[in-house]
Amino acid sequence: MHALIAGSLRENPGRFLLAIAAIALGVALGVAVHLINSSALNEFELAARHLAGEADLVVRGPRAGFDEALYPRLARLPQVEAANPAVELEVPLAGRQDSLRIIGFDPLRAAQVQPSLLPERAGIVLDLFDADAILLSPAAAEWLHLKAGDPLAVQVGTRKVPLKVAGLLPRGAYRQRVGVMDVATAQWRLERLGRLNRIDLRLKPGTDVAAFRRELQAMLPAGVHAVAPDTEGERAAILTRAYRLNLDMLALVALFTGAFLVFSAQVLAALRRRAQLALLRALGVTRGALAVGLVAEGAAIGAIGSLFGVVLGYAVARYALSVVGADLGAGYFRGIAASLNAEPQALARFFTLGVLFAVLGAAAPAWQAARRPPARALRAGDEEEGLRKVHTLWWGVALLVSGMLLAAAPAMNGLPIAGYIAIGLILLGAVLVMPQLTGACLARLPSPAHAAAGIAIAQLKATPRQVALSVAAIVISFSLMVSMLIMVGSFRGSLETWLERMLPADLYLRAARFGETAFFTPAEQARIAATPGVGRVEFVRAQTLLLAPERPPLTLLAGPVDAGDPGSVLPLTAPARTTRPEEPPPVWVSEVAADFYGFRTGDRVQLPIGDAPRLYTIAGVWRDYARQNGAIAINRGTYVKVTGDTLVNDAAVWLAPGASVTHVQRGLRERLPDAARLEIATTREMRDLSLGAFDRTFAITYALEIAAILIGLFGVSVSFSAQALARRREFGVLRHLGMTRRGIGTLLGCEGTLVAALGTAFGLAAGCGVGLILIHVVNRQSFHWSMELHVSWLPIAGLAALIVAAAAVTAVWSGRAAMGDDVVRAVHEDW
Amino acid sequence: MLALLAGALCAPKATAQITSHESRVTPFAPVVPGYRMRFPDDEGSHPDFRIEWWYITGWLEDAGKPLGFQITFFRARPELKHDNPSAFAPRQILIAHAALSDPAHGRLIHAQRAARAGFGLAGADEGRTRVTIDDWRLQQADTSYRAQIGTRDFSLDLAFEATQPPMKQGRDGFSRKGPAPESASYYYSLPHLLVSGSVEREGKTLRVSGSAWLDHEWSSQYLEKDATGWDWIGINLDGGAALMAFRMRDRQGGHYWAGGALRDPNGRLRIFSPDEVRFFPRREWKSARTGTSYPVSFLVRAGDREFAIEPLFDDQEHDTRASTGTIYWEGAVRALRDGKPVGLGYLELTGYWRRLSL
Amino acid sequence: MLRIDNLGKSYGGARSREVLRDISFEIRRGEYIAIVGESGVGKSTLLNLVAGLEVPDRGGISLDGVELTALDDTARTLLRRSRIGFVFQAFHLLPHLTVAQNVALPLSLNGIDPAQAAARVASMLDAIGLTAASNVYPRELSGGESQRVAIARALAHRPLLLLADEPTGNLDPATASQVLALLRDQVKRESGAGILVTHSAVAAATTDRVLVLTAEGLRPAASA
Repeated sequence: MHALIAGSLRENPGRFLLAIAAIALGVALGVAVHLINSSALNEFELAARHLAGEADLVVRGPRAGFDEALYPRLARLPQVEAANPAVELEVPLAGRQDSLRIIGFDPLRAAQVQPSLLPERAGIVLDLFDADAILLSPAAAEWLHLKAGDPLAVQVGTRKVPLKVAGLLPRGAYRQRVGVMDVATAQWRLERLGRLNRIDLRLKPGTDVAAFRRELQAMLPAGVHAVAPDTEGERAAILTRAYRLNLDMLALVALFTGAFLVFSAQVLAALRRRAQLALLRALGVTRGALAVGLVAEGAAIGAIGSLFGVVLGYAVARYALSVVGADLGAGYFRGIAASLNAEPQALARFFTLGVLFAVLGAAAPAWQAARRPPARALRAGDEEEGLRKVHTLWWGVALLVSGMLLAAAPAMNGLPIAGYIAIGLILLGAVLVMPQLTGACLARLPSPAHAAAGIAIAQLKATPRQVALSVAAIVISFSLMVSMLIMVGSFRGSLETWLERMLPADLYLRAARFGETAFFTPAEQARIAATPGVGRVEFVRAQTLLLAPERPPLTLLAGPVDAGDPGSVLPLTAPARTTRPEEPPPVWVSEVAADFYGFRTGDRVQLPIGDAPRLYTIAGVWRDYARQNGAIAINRGTYVKVTGDTLVNDAAVWLAPGASVTHVQRGLRERLPDAARLEIATTREMRDLSLGAFDRTFAITYALEIAAILIGLFGVSVSFSAQALARRREFGVLRHLGMTRRGIGTLLGCEGTLVAALGTAFGLAAGCGVGLILIHVVNRQSFHWSMELHVSWLPIAGLAALIVAAAAVTAVWSGRAAMGDDVVRAVHEDW
Repeated sequence: MLALLAGALCAPKATAQITSHESRVTPFAPVVPGYRMRFPDDEGSHPDFRIEWWYITGWLEDAGKPLGFQITFFRARPELKHDNPSAFAPRQILIAHAALSDPAHGRLIHAQRAARAGFGLAGADEGRTRVTIDDWRLQQADTSYRAQIGTRDFSLDLAFEATQPPMKQGRDGFSRKGPAPESASYYYSLPHLLVSGSVEREGKTLRVSGSAWLDHEWSSQYLEKDATGWDWIGINLDGGAALMAFRMRDRQGGHYWAGGALRDPNGRLRIFSPDEVRFFPRREWKSARTGTSYPVSFLVRAGDREFAIEPLFDDQEHDTRASTGTIYWEGAVRALRDGKPVGLGYLELTGYWRRLSL
Repeated sequence: MLRIDNLGKSYGGARSREVLRDISFEIRRGEYIAIVGESGVGKSTLLNLVAGLEVPDRGGISLDGVELTALDDTARTLLRRSRIGFVFQAFHLLPHLTVAQNVALPLSLNGIDPAQAAARVASMLDAIGLTAASNVYPRELSGGESQRVAIARALAHRPLLLLADEPTGNLDPATASQVLALLRDQVKRESGAGILVTHSAVAAATTDRVLVLTAEGLRPAASA
């Protein structure tokens, strides 16, 4: 029996190779995505842990920080053994479109709190007291191609602040890019005098950290939170949970497709070998042993594929981490340099998963084959008989219905689990209803007089269940493609609409694209407004608010939003609510903020804007695709009144009638200091920048789509090859009857086209359903932003045509073996 | 780390390096002859000078068993190039070391801290001794001092009562440290301080008493370029006399400069010239931990007097590389004459591991 | 009508062997002959050569004045399509076509108008006595019925030459004799000529003339 299986492997290596490749692809995808993400997360946690050193708690404030007077108060608490005050900011690098994280702390206090973070070289602390000095982590030094003694310029306001690299942190102490400064230097050079935004606390031995944290929280100003360093590290995990699950699901989908391929390969193999298998049964092999043997065959495919997949995934992850970086374009791990962190358990898990899926794929056909009475199977024309038993319609319908119902379920634990299950059920259901649906459709086809077409249609009509296998392969891959196209297309379409709303002006000035220390002073604002050709200017101040310790800060946008007509500036999701004069001042929250913090229009909430928290009215919810941690918009007049902060980050410029863009751009550059570093972009440039970033983010999705196409075509090719081989004699007869090779090609092409047409039609339907779930359930629950349905039919139609054409070609190609001379001789064989 | 600073600035007993240029932002006050010390004003901090320390060593008695201790507060003024308006600007740095010498333990038990002055968390007051780093403090009240040191391993709460007037070292408090006239410090000592208080170790609080020695010294230029370190003793002699002697060593380990003073119980002070003070090593002890050899036993000649100096125990090496970047020896010693103990004090040996320098 | 001259065919490969050597014979219009021989003497190869499915190494095959060896594969295929009908031992009805569709296959391949074809199919089915089974799939037929359908399919387009390769090999003797009778009857009526390849003397006896194929060549049977 093993010889028989091995023989079958030898006989049809291509089919098995394809199944192996599909499993390998799924496993590789899973392994790569998992490794990249876990490495990035690990690095993220490590970074948070290393930066906190021996600290038991990290007190954090928003970007604007808190009054430095908090530091002595905390340092004097009896439970506190040592406190290290810090200013921690992303600082734009002058002359480089990027930013560097700089932490300015007290190196003397670091001796007690973060001892490993400073070099052992005697005198380095003294060097750090120099108000130009910065220490770089080895990763930062490497990235910037700098060594001790080199100058490094950063941007603060619109100015260039020259610094000097005083030395490097010990290798291994901190693996990410970071610059370390003295807290006094940071306060002064980064224009944060009197402010801190981080204090690391080391507690006396025996202090109950959790209890002390609660006690401490009561004395911290609003918007300032004490968190354990582990929580800090885990924040990245929480933040990226949905994103990672998304990628994991894509990998699972690939595996699922692989399993389906194993299934279809095994079904056809079982059919082809039905006589051999029946012979085995007749010779006394038990039903169970036969099934076990066939499942073992699937397991072998799974094991080989998984092994390749693990190796491939590992290689891809390694390559991606070293070349592309850990970010994968999604922005969560920007600037994180991760080294591959491959836990053997995770690799083993994916290997097992691959084998499991293959076994699952092999189980049903094995069971079917083993169940078949040997006498019947020995008779000719049994292929379809074997499948006729499979009554899947009601199961399929049940799965489809429950999938649709499940799609309405809310997020579980912040994750769209139900949505994913719904997608799985719908895909599985679609596969299960395929035999009946395919049969019904084929039955309605006319019988044309043309010999090749007539035979093709008759063949399909007579074998609806076998056809259904091929159709299902296409349905699966095409529906995935369609759903992704719909999702990405809707997202992109919504983003474009949104950008149009968010970018109403002619020109945009940004003090810097990256980092937190660039701004325009009131004098510069006045100069911008007075530039010839400038009709109107609106300024925006971006700050952060820390509303919950376990979440990253959300963005506070103080801009031209007006209580009277907020909809003119913000893309509100519902009509605005007008606040009455006696109510607290209005703020408008993004969908993400609304979801994270439970804000509802009309709520009154205390927000730590400025040093004293006040009540504000939630006056509306708006759509924001730019800030994944949430955003709150406030009128800048209100903001300035509350905070006294008159700096701004961005300016939107409307040209005066008749003014030219280039003219005004030049004028602005002339009037602003070091304007070379400023970003003065037209609306179109801003738009293109955002869309470019979007496309990069979804690059991985496109890669997956290509994988889906390949898997789908694999499936088609596998089933056609198998069928073509099974029908060798039939083709031989046709050749005897005077059908040309071309005629047989046409016949196969017709069949391929029909199968693909059915597959793409049903795939389109299933894909639309899955796409809607992706848009309204998975996406909404994962990333908390809504979007409108934008279906670009042209690419979908193009893709469908491509698949049909590819399927026709594949069918003809896989039938070429059946057009050779041996088919002629096959006719005269006795059997 | 802390010691990086100590190593850089003012390693134990001063490493302030001679600098040839004056900083624009940080003009250091010079040490010049003819300054008249006034008490208690000069017991306070002198922030214009580069470096300053209050250095208390002494012998305690714990149920008849001897226990040496050292409490040091350093004040250092970094040379800044910029006048940074930040409240965190490191205008003054405070560093403190504390150590216990218990023969039963066999080596030092020590702790250290460093902080920049400011925010009421660390600082050194002018006009009167009051130096603090968080909850570590040394504070003067009339003629007595109180030191409070709390660490993970031990706590000290000691009161020091002066029994004698300050002993001005060098020429009326102007103590030269080398041939160059600008290499000098203002320096006075308070010998025979009466100690009482408590030592907490391993969860047990001991009532202790004993006698101590306080050095207060401030300078802007201390260790000359050609000197590598120094040996120093401060001994409370039986009967109320007090002996201070030091020598600066050259790069070959030989005599570079020296000084000292002996005050008899009646208050008569004898100042020794550099030639009158000689240190003759008698026995070396090599640290197995660092491989550094220290002459832990000396014959010290001061004028016509000779004292044998013998350590309470050999291993009083202070390894502060992890924190301060240097290693030195600082320990309780007995002074003997003709083989008979005549006094108790402390010996300091610096620059044996590596030259004290930036 | 069919003229074979000095036909020779060898198969290459590791064990090259000569299958046919110096085969010459001729069939006239209206003639129905049998070629008998042991297994493996090249009977099927001879049929394939005659049908233009394979190309001889030597010699010539002339069908109705057309020299087959001068034609390319497509031309031979088109010639086969219109001039030749095949009956196989294993019937080889297309399993997914009905009886009528199977019979109509040569007609649609030859581009006959569907209506005309339908009439022809009907008359053929009538001739083989299976009109009632016209919409039945081959798997529901008995062996004899299947072979009768195969005969109808082979003759539906009125070929010049019918080639039958052991058509009763899979049938019981009673059915076989019925099928052989039908075959002879239909060849005489619908075809220009017929060749029956068999190793059964009983079958051969239903033809006009018997040739014996041996390794040495083709010769007339000792007694006709």
